Amino acid sequence: MELSIDRLTKHYGSKIAVDCVSAELTAGVYGLLGANGAGKTTLMRMLCAILESTSGEVFFNGEEVTGMGAAYRDVLGYLPQDFGYYPNYTAGEFLAYIAALKGIPRPIAQRRIRQLLSALGLQDAAGKRMRTFSGGMKQRVGIAQALLNDPQVLILDEPTAGLDPKERVHLRNLLADYAGDRIVILSTHIVSDVEAIADQVLLMRNGRFILRGTVPELVRQAEGKVWELTVPEGQAREWEDHFTVANFRHEGDRVVLRIISEGRPAEQAVPCRATMEDLYLCYFGQEA
Amino acid sequence: MELFRLEHRKLWRKASVRVCVLLCFAYLVVFGGVLSYQWFEFGSADDVTSAFGNNFDGYAMIRAYQARADSYGAYLTDESLQRMVRDIQADNARGIRWENKDVRSTVNSYLWQLYPELEQTDNAYPILMEYYVDSSELTGLYQRRQAALEDFLRSQGQTGGEGAMLLDMNDKVQEPFRYGWVCGWQHVLGSYLPDLGVVMAVFLAIVLGPTFSGEWRSNTAPLLLTTQGGWRHLARAKILCGLAFAAELFALLAAGGVASQLVYLGTAGWDMPIQTVKMLAVAPMNMLQAEIYEYAFALLGAVGFAGVVMLLSALVKSNVLALLLSLAAAWGPAVVAQYLPYGLQKALDLLPLAGSAADIFRTNTFHIFGEYIWSPYLLITVPILTGLACLPFAAARWCRRQRA
Repeated sequence: MELSIDRLTKHYGSKIAVDCVSAELTAGVYGLLGANGAGKTTLMRMLCAILESTSGEVFFNGEEVTGMGAAYRDVLGYLPQDFGYYPNYTAGEFLAYIAALKGIPRPIAQRRIRQLLSALGLQDAAGKRMRTFSGGMKQRVGIAQALLNDPQVLILDEPTAGLDPKERVHLRNLLADYAGDRIVILSTHIVSDVEAIADQVLLMRNGRFILRGTVPELVRQAEGKVWELTVPEGQAREWEDHFTVANFRHEGDRVVLRIISEGRPAEQAVPCRATMEDLYLCYFGQEA
Repeated sequence: MELFRLEHRKLWRKASVRVCVLLCFAYLVVFGGVLSYQWFEFGSADDVTSAFGNNFDGYAMIRAYQARADSYGAYLTDESLQRMVRDIQADNARGIRWENKDVRSTVNSYLWQLYPELEQTDNAYPILMEYYVDSSELTGLYQRRQAALEDFLRSQGQTGGEGAMLLDMNDKVQEPFRYGWVCGWQHVLGSYLPDLGVVMAVFLAIVLGPTFSGEWRSNTAPLLLTTQGGWRHLARAKILCGLAFAAELFALLAAGGVASQLVYLGTAGWDMPIQTVKMLAVAPMNMLQAEIYEYAFALLGAVGFAGVVMLLSALVKSNVLALLLSLAAAWGPAVVAQYLPYGLQKALDLLPLAGSAADIFRTNTFHIFGEYIWSPYLLITVPILTGLACLPFAAARWCRRQRA
């Protein structure tokens, strides 16, 4: 199974949202990282064939996806960023509605809905109207609808938005279990989510992939650029003006700064182990 | 089918839909039906300045009116008409006034249409002919009706082939007319049922206006577009749902209307010809046939109107605009008709729910491809065909917009 992105480009007037992006995606979890406006959502919509590209194509197992039409939608699951729902429907009814739209026979849909509601911790809310749901509950229903047809290509645009830490961990485990031999693409601002489950990470900036690799590979790129420096409390803000500071930690009347810098920022700075978040800040420190 | 079932449930889940149906039912069945029969249409007059000043005794009064009408025999003849006039005048002399909904108002309309030369212009109340005409002069009722009809058609310019067609229809009307209490049927056929379509149009516009435009507000396009069935299946389900809603709303109102009619009016007089309501009508129909026609007119018009509303909903992205356009489709023809030539006015009548079910009492015709067609034939068929013709365009337009 392969999803090929071939020089995919999207222009909105003079603005270039996605700029000649290419990639070959096989089974696994792909984390799409980038600041706001990097082009993640535009790329995902084109991968879903709901947004026409200005140029370039997407192929699923060698077939161009817009030409595949319903056959591609049959293997696709998508959670949009601002997922629209019907407030008067219960979670069960909403999922049944989407299942009907996905052409899933009713008995199979009912069974699948029960499984998903249970897996996402929504079994008690199945009969409640969605207008009464919290943001996290709605998001979980959105994830459930994307999984209804057991898709081979699952595209999730910010799936962890609105989820509390426990729900995020639960979702991460669910997706890790689910991925197997499927292609899962998720975008998020929460670097730790990507770090936890992504087999491959794609860093996007100005509509382009600027970096791609596994988490350890990418983290290695940040090694030697992360420093800890202990300074008096009054000087902490001055350091922030000159460097990307990933973290402030107070220790008595002093502050331990975690600084991202190509070179040693000060004599007394000590190198420390890098994380994905450090890598992210290396690239997006100024805009993030 | 599953999608239709769920779409249908989604529609009925909306509070606005339930409120609309409730209001529509309350206005037509409770206000226009039950309260109208019991109180302000058929209740005995108490305060003559307002129908709402009537007494709350419609049920008993209707029974009394029916009994009085039945006492004049089963057929309308010169003799029965003369007896009615004599009784009205005798009671008037004793200071007893007959209620408006009694046989008096029917007799008054017969006299005006068939015996206009008996009007006394110097009388204090010349329009109340039943109080002063000499009953012995009320003869030749059916000959006079024939002459009045021919005069009327001539005065309307309906001569030649058109006049001949209408007179041919009239020849099938059986004489003498079966006779009973007319005012109840007059209310149903001349007021309640013609209003049914107009009121339904408003509520159909409110409920079905957001059928397609509402999806933009829900922001569901990205979801719908990535489903296997996608927007095309959904468009089909939405259209079926809209048509089903129109039929359901009609069924609810029709059931309520018929039930209140049966309770208050019963079935008496179903076989009277509609000419007992309007003497110069030419259709050979009895009251029951006319009622079936008017209900069919409302149902087919409502389904046709639903089609138009759904097309308008697919054309725009705003619910408010969809509603305004739908209301314009309902009332616009009536508003602009007065500024248009007669031919165009009649053409506008063929839009769903724009014409009137009461055309069965009239001699309106359409002249198409050299043929004269009595207007009710087209008023009942063209609106639904128009509405159904809108549906493929609605689906195609919405699907194209969703993709764009």
